[in-house]
Amino acid sequence: MVAQNIAFGVLAAATSLAAIRVVTTRNVVHAALYLVVVLASVGALYILLTAEFVAAVQILVYVGAIVVLLLFGVMLTKATLGEDDQLDNDQRWLGAVIALFLLGTLSFVLVDAFGDDKLPSLEGVSRATLEAQRGSGAVGDAIFSTFLVPFEVVSVLLLAALVGAIVLARRD
Amino acid sequence: MGDPLQGGDPIFIGGIDFGVVALVVLKVLIGFTFVMVGVIFMIWFERKLIADMQNRIGPNRAGKWGLLQTLADGIKLIFKEDLMPNKADRLVFRLAPYLTVAPAFLTFTIVPIGGLFGTGENGTIEVFGYRTFVQVADPPIGVLFLLAMSSVAVYGVMLAGWSSGSKYPLLGSVRASAQMVSYEAALGLSVVAVVLLTGSLSTHDIVSAQSGGFADWNIWRTGVVPFLVFCIAATAELNRPPFDLVEAEQELVGGFHTEYSSMRFGMFYLAEFMNTITMSAIIVTLFLGGPDGPSLFGPDIIWPTIWFMGKLFIFLFTFVWLRATLPRFRYDQLMDLGWKRLIPLSLAWLLVIGAIRIADDEGWNVALVIGISLASCVVGALALVGASRAGRIRRRAEEALR
Amino acid sequence: MDNYLPLVVMLVLAVVFVFGSLVTTKFVAPSRPTVAKQDPYECGIVPSREAPQRFPVRFFLVAMIFIIFDIEIIFLYPWAVYHRELGAYGLIEMLMFSVAVLVSFLYLLSKGALDWGTVKKVSPLQPLRTSESSIRRVGLEGRPSRPSEVGAP
Repeated sequence: MVAQNIAFGVLAAATSLAAIRVVTTRNVVHAALYLVVVLASVGALYILLTAEFVAAVQILVYVGAIVVLLLFGVMLTKATLGEDDQLDNDQRWLGAVIALFLLGTLSFVLVDAFGDDKLPSLEGVSRATLEAQRGSGAVGDAIFSTFLVPFEVVSVLLLAALVGAIVLARRD
Repeated sequence: MGDPLQGGDPIFIGGIDFGVVALVVLKVLIGFTFVMVGVIFMIWFERKLIADMQNRIGPNRAGKWGLLQTLADGIKLIFKEDLMPNKADRLVFRLAPYLTVAPAFLTFTIVPIGGLFGTGENGTIEVFGYRTFVQVADPPIGVLFLLAMSSVAVYGVMLAGWSSGSKYPLLGSVRASAQMVSYEAALGLSVVAVVLLTGSLSTHDIVSAQSGGFADWNIWRTGVVPFLVFCIAATAELNRPPFDLVEAEQELVGGFHTEYSSMRFGMFYLAEFMNTITMSAIIVTLFLGGPDGPSLFGPDIIWPTIWFMGKLFIFLFTFVWLRATLPRFRYDQLMDLGWKRLIPLSLAWLLVIGAIRIADDEGWNVALVIGISLASCVVGALALVGASRAGRIRRRAEEALR
Repeated sequence: MDNYLPLVVMLVLAVVFVFGSLVTTKFVAPSRPTVAKQDPYECGIVPSREAPQRFPVRFFLVAMIFIIFDIEIIFLYPWAVYHRELGAYGLIEMLMFSVAVLVSFLYLLSKGALDWGTVKKVSPLQPLRTSESSIRRVGLEGRPSRPSEVGAP
């Protein structure tokens, strides 16, 4: 268990520090790269929670496609390299206060709801059972039984997203 | 942690102690060495083979037959001046080589290099009292990990070009990333066919399922189409000829790595060949049964590795052969191929395979199912062609009105 | 979860390898930056201030379309692993999903979002293409504007 606690500590620190840097850095591309660190650390946290399929999807879709899109957008439009002082507005301190307030509220809610609950121990659990409970097995089961309608709606939603993308990019 | 027959590397049963960690580090070092030696060999092999096909000699000074040429080039690169353009973004410029090299190494860790599968040993070997797989790691989501690493490799290319601070590397890197991103979809779809047949995402299980001999290999069991789609998509992902427009020396100088010099450039160069070896290894694992092959004479334990290396060599040879023979694709032809042909083809094929398997299970008339699927494929193809043609006609009419 | 330990070790090793090589270069290689060496490389010509052309938005569109197809591929994987347990029911559902994917693909094709430009046919009514009208010379500082002027009459 010690190794997992250490791993969790490292990942949590990486996520928080990178997240703070995302909003405080002055260079857009650096902010995007710190965002990659945040998303990748969240993926690693999913692995710690033995939700491996979700971790793989996180890296594949979020890190591999969405931030790539973000970077494409930044690279194709910004003419200047380097810092951009217009990224910040003047309300840093107000923002920090609100963020701290949110942190306090969320921590209280989470501690209150889960309190001393612990994750089920992984001793003696075979990989196949883990797969079936939390891996692709569980996801597959869930998609095709409990969440069937949302699944089909997602396909239509993706069509709508595609139409939106084409409209955004039409020749003007 | 867990039943030895239920999967996962058996070395981790019984918790992690110092011996396990030492063995893991040893396996990682062996994998690392395999990749590095492979790269040194591959670079030499490519130069020699292309020279042969072009009726000349190739490197023959450094060491016997020029074998040490790559090493000599690497050492030379270390001694070259490391320039950073004055307009470059320093942090990202330095970060890009790491993002290109790390995925190459990480992808190789899930490839099974050896191990006997048919005789009840389940692909393990006994080392220092520990029983372990002959692959560096076996995550249960092996194949998805491979795709994730391909996605991360796009970052190295994109950031290298952008951080150079000049127009041409940026253009080169945007085109390269658009190319890699387009073929990742085709890559992902062709692998689903393999996963369909295996019922598991782990590379160890995929190789296990193919261990019944030549006819059991996935290349035949999936029909040959996913294999071909994967090979084409892999070639495009690697930016290898004939898909190497974005780093064509004759056209763009260096493309995204124009401004890199010395060992930073060396890293990009190494990473390209490392990725080639890794992708070939993945093709062998997914479609050609990995280390599967008969043991001919002598000790049984060495033959899987020999078969694996033999099959790997065939693909390395093919990649070099493609480079020496085929002319380059134009960018629009490349994108057309990736989007309009490979994606519908692989999606349709995997649905047909799925339908046939379900039909088998449920006891339906398989011939009827095949007939219906072929008919719907034809209808789908006609719809695709019709849609693009109708759209083009309408757009031309709109242009004419303006 | 233990299965990821070798991956972490390999990642550390890869980072150490790259870092080691680059640090070696720093100690061993010369460092004599000059103005010419640090300018962006443009095949030897003096970089002139051309108006930056607008980047084609097609690249951005490709990235967006890739996200959508990536998500669709993600849904295929759990089905592929468990299609046997899900049986005909799962197959029908997946077919419905694929039909929706097909419809979006048809839309893309008809809108020409995946067209990267084919060779256009030159209409016979356009003015004649000569080297004057179709070649633009760059990097001409200090050179005669036409090769025919070299070696003045």
